[in-house]
Amino acid sequence: MRDERQDEDDELVRYMIAYQAGELAAFERLYAALAAELERYFSAAAPTGSVGSAAQDLVQDTFLAIHRSRRTYLPPLPVRPWIFGIARNVLGRHRRTAWRRGRHEERTIEPNEEGRERVEPGAAVEPRDVAEALRLLPAGRRQVWVLHHVHGWSFQQIAARFQIGVGAAKLRSSRAMKALRASLGIERGARDG
Amino acid sequence: MGEPRVPAGLLDAVERDLTPVRPLAAPSRRALLLLPLGLALLVGLPAFWGWRNNLAALGPAAAWGLSAVQALAGLWIAGAALREAVPGRELSATAVAGAVGAALALFVGLTLATELLVPTPVPPGAWLRYAWECFGMATVWSVPALVVVAWLASRALPTRPAVAGALYGLGTGLMADAGVRLFCRVSSPAHVLVAHGGAILFLVVAGACAATAVERRKARAASKGAS
Repeated sequence: MRDERQDEDDELVRYMIAYQAGELAAFERLYAALAAELERYFSAAAPTGSVGSAAQDLVQDTFLAIHRSRRTYLPPLPVRPWIFGIARNVLGRHRRTAWRRGRHEERTIEPNEEGRERVEPGAAVEPRDVAEALRLLPAGRRQVWVLHHVHGWSFQQIAARFQIGVGAAKLRSSRAMKALRASLGIERGARDG
Repeated sequence: MGEPRVPAGLLDAVERDLTPVRPLAAPSRRALLLLPLGLALLVGLPAFWGWRNNLAALGPAAAWGLSAVQALAGLWIAGAALREAVPGRELSATAVAGAVGAALALFVGLTLATELLVPTPVPPGAWLRYAWECFGMATVWSVPALVVVAWLASRALPTRPAVAGALYGLGTGLMADAGVRLFCRVSSPAHVLVAHGGAILFLVVAGACAATAVERRKARAASKGAS
């Protein structure tokens, strides 16, 4: 698993170097390798209601930003942290623009643990509720949780990415999971993860 | 399910502008571009305005040695700011706090050491004038270095421009103060902390504002170009 991930990372570095040298095919390969991952990142991070097409738009914006700032990638450093750094920038810009224009939905759902129905183990949870619950998490915990549970990063990789200890990464993920369960009204033991 | 394909519009936009690019140099190498400006601040500023009249009493190690250490610390922090400006290479909160803490400790330590070696108060009635002179001198002389480091940082794509800007402002401020302390004969901590420290703080705020403004402008230009 670790070797596979390492091979994939090495391959991304090769694509990026070729892309910086002006190869269009390398850009297409980068897109093929990372578009879905980026879309999942934006879907998890973007506010509820703008998940669907906004996530795809943000992926396009990210690749445009990548194209404009492709010289800022310093080979042979790993490509993913660079790309997700740009993605975070694009997301921040998107949020500022949305806020400035006053277009974002005024969804003021407060986490109401007592008033919320308990979800039975195995019962379906609405993706919209999950996205909203994720949105309410502190950014640090949300990022760790998303990277681990959505993108499949190991805690070692997350710790290296954020320059924190492995224990701290696990703690953030565990606290995020606890908050998500509480927010969604899921009993502990319904599913462990 | 097949691999995602690049949408036609995006592919066209990329293809139109697909020239080979040379990657930026490592942040530490780019920080070396500031070395001549750091030297100008360290030597040029006091040479232009006049050396402190108690320089000999301070001794070469406490005068030149400590100023050189402060200038190098400023250069190092400016290098850290250039690293912070590269996506994916942002500094951790601990590293940022460490850099700021180290800068603060160095500045206060040098102030107290100088006061210990050659205690020199501000002449009566000249407090405000002396403070204004030192503050103005440090900030005005820092402008070229601040502009160059801001340009270097903006060539990357800072994801936290305020942090990058504050750091390069801090680095520039330390480099400038390394020269100002060879000019200013006063070693009273009240004067040094308020006037010299105030200039550093001003440069920190100026750097954060400048970097934020530059990135917003770049973002606006990019969105206009895309639409």
